[in-house]
Amino acid sequence: MKARDRLQDFGEFWAEFRQEKTGLVGLGILVIFILLGLFGSLIVPFKDADKHWRDIDYWQDNPQAAPPVWTNAFSLKKGVPSSTLTSFKAEEQSQDSGVVIKTFTFDYPFVYDRPPRDLLVRVPGSGQVPLVISLERPDGLSAELYREQVELSEGSPERISIARNCAQSTIEFIRNQDASMANDMNADLINPTSILFAKMDPGMLDDPVALKGDYKIKVEALILSSDFSVGAPSIQVSGHVSGLMGTDASKRDVFTGIVLGIRWALIIGILTSVISVVAGVLLGIIAAYFGGVVDWLLSRLYELVYLLPVLPFLIVISAIYKPSIWSMIILICAFFWTGSFKTVYSMTLQIKEETYIEAARALGSSKWRIVFKHISPILLPYSFASMALSIPAIIVYEASVSLLGLGDSTIVSWGQILESALSQGAMINNLWWWVIPPGLMIALMGMSFAFLGTALDKILHPKLKTR
Amino acid sequence: MYRKFVLKRIGYGILMYIAMIFIFSALFNSVADETMRSQIDEEVAQEATKLRNLNEDQLKATIESRRASKIRQFHLDEPLPSRIFWRSVRTLTFDYGNSTIIKASNGDRLALSIILEALPRTIVLFTTEVILVTIFGVILGLYAARKPNGLFDRTNSMITMITNGLPAWWLAMIAIMAFSYTIPIFPPGGLHSNPVPTGIAGILDYLWHLALPLLTLVLLGVWGTAYLVRNIVLSNLQEDFVMAARARGIPERKVLFGHTLRTSMPAIMTMAVLGLFGSIAGNIIVEGIFGWPGIGNLYFIAVQQNDVPILMATLSIETLLNMVGFVILDIVYGLLDPRIKVGGKA
Repeated sequence: MKARDRLQDFGEFWAEFRQEKTGLVGLGILVIFILLGLFGSLIVPFKDADKHWRDIDYWQDNPQAAPPVWTNAFSLKKGVPSSTLTSFKAEEQSQDSGVVIKTFTFDYPFVYDRPPRDLLVRVPGSGQVPLVISLERPDGLSAELYREQVELSEGSPERISIARNCAQSTIEFIRNQDASMANDMNADLINPTSILFAKMDPGMLDDPVALKGDYKIKVEALILSSDFSVGAPSIQVSGHVSGLMGTDASKRDVFTGIVLGIRWALIIGILTSVISVVAGVLLGIIAAYFGGVVDWLLSRLYELVYLLPVLPFLIVISAIYKPSIWSMIILICAFFWTGSFKTVYSMTLQIKEETYIEAARALGSSKWRIVFKHISPILLPYSFASMALSIPAIIVYEASVSLLGLGDSTIVSWGQILESALSQGAMINNLWWWVIPPGLMIALMGMSFAFLGTALDKILHPKLKTR
Repeated sequence: MYRKFVLKRIGYGILMYIAMIFIFSALFNSVADETMRSQIDEEVAQEATKLRNLNEDQLKATIESRRASKIRQFHLDEPLPSRIFWRSVRTLTFDYGNSTIIKASNGDRLALSIILEALPRTIVLFTTEVILVTIFGVILGLYAARKPNGLFDRTNSMITMITNGLPAWWLAMIAIMAFSYTIPIFPPGGLHSNPVPTGIAGILDYLWHLALPLLTLVLLGVWGTAYLVRNIVLSNLQEDFVMAARARGIPERKVLFGHTLRTSMPAIMTMAVLGLFGSIAGNIIVEGIFGWPGIGNLYFIAVQQNDVPILMATLSIETLLNMVGFVILDIVYGLLDPRIKVGGKA
């Protein structure tokens, strides 16, 4: 077949395919999935999350079990979205003694009803550097939060938590305004951010009212000698709502996990279905065309595999051997080749008797040549539809095994996200943003392949029947 | 003729089952032997604590001889093929040994009794599911077949495609979250309340606990069944006898429910049987989510506790059930369609 003929064939196919609305919808969703699978790691907020999904330190600055940001639109008390402040105004002041004072001023417009859970100030640099962190409130008051000499080292920036490290200085701030109120406060019990972001009021300890407006956070660093240096600091606001899909109980960003899961669902689904359908088609042709002992052996093997309960077997073998994702794909293939075997087998029995096969045999073609050159091309279109149609079940099987905690722990898959949701009490605590998206993605991906497969089946199958 | 066919199918099924058990024994041989050895050590150590009036050397010798005799008894000292053979023989005679951790409700650690305790609960859940799915599936399917390509028909096939790739256990998680915690109208799991009510209240309590798993499974399963029923009924509607019935002026309702449904019934029934065995093997995880203490839940616990004997025993029972199902199906097929008997090939 020449390239131009193929192109024409494809043109005809496409003209027919365009008539199938559900097929187009399926293809559209699939294209989006593939794009997200390829470039998803560029759009997620946590770029190298696939390497650190199970790394507790990587996620430590996120709020725990926070709902998605957009839930603010439906709640009466708006929570603070988690974010990172990186833009600042920098000033440098040199003194005669050679000491340089660097001042970084961050603007933080605060328009929410609840104070942030925490502010984390990160300062990179090197050497012994005295640091001063202060907060200027919209009502004109300012609080000095932190004043200490810190040992900065290359690579790991100094991390200062307002909630944990600045309780005493918060009480000092209150003492400057109202000494009697400060006496009631205990550094171990108060929540510094809820006081710093509240209106000055005698009842602010028990029932703080948020003070909205523009806050300024100032980070001052004293650079005592030219050996020491301070890089660009950043402030992470740990809030009540986070990201497009919230965070889970281990502080991981659910949206990042979902996007990273797309890649694996596609790899598992497509790779498994291609391998198993190609194997099934070839084995079916071989069994039917060669006949005899080969036929008997392959048919018995088919029955054996067909009668095995797939999911229980997969569960037991994963529980005992803990396979990697690649072994898992091979394992699922070992079951799914049966899907196309029998149909291809009976089709080949018919094709075998056609005159052109007889002609090829009379011309001295070898058996393998007939199998690959004459029979396979006819049955190939059929296999495309069954590839697409088998993918939803494959994805569900992998997710089911992962749900039992038997998945490959080096990857991020939707089944594993659901497994952690199940084992860490997402249902009892009603953390719906952790449970609904992964399952919805499994369903959506399954649906797109089912739509595509049904459309392909409609177009490609009649040709076989009319032969 | 038919009896010969039936005997042949049953014999073939038994052969297949034996072959599968041999495969399992070969695949899981090393782990199973290891578990068995540690179980023997444990057992012997327990026996030794009862022997008070022996000195140290005697005690050691007794322990050694006990262990050796037990290892001989289970053929653990023999070469690999022989170990696989004896393990298969034990599995085929339902001698699954003891569990390592899991216990039956009466404290029994025999794997077989643990499974026999769980099996009826699984059967109750899934047979009711299949009965309900078949009833509603037939109703919906007939309704869809009345106007092919109508709004209802298209909606139905759309939902079928969507539910096709939807894990039942995920729907179960959503159902628990919605109807057990957010709006608490159903219990979040288990077989019955604690303490167990007696009499009528006990039955109602059981049904109350059964309701949510059952609803979830039915809600997911009914669409595919309806779609199949629609296809079967539609192909029968093309037949000449339907045209003849219509020509005689028989009302469409009667044609649909009387003539067409009756001829479609064998196909629908076999589909229901197939559905039963399919859903037991495929939806076992749903049980684990709902804490319904059947076979599926046993898998959940056995995986968490790494209880190898239980895992292998459940797998063997599951395989046997599957096999019985297919053999029954084959025999029913043969009864309904005489052509299959003659063909002989599966």
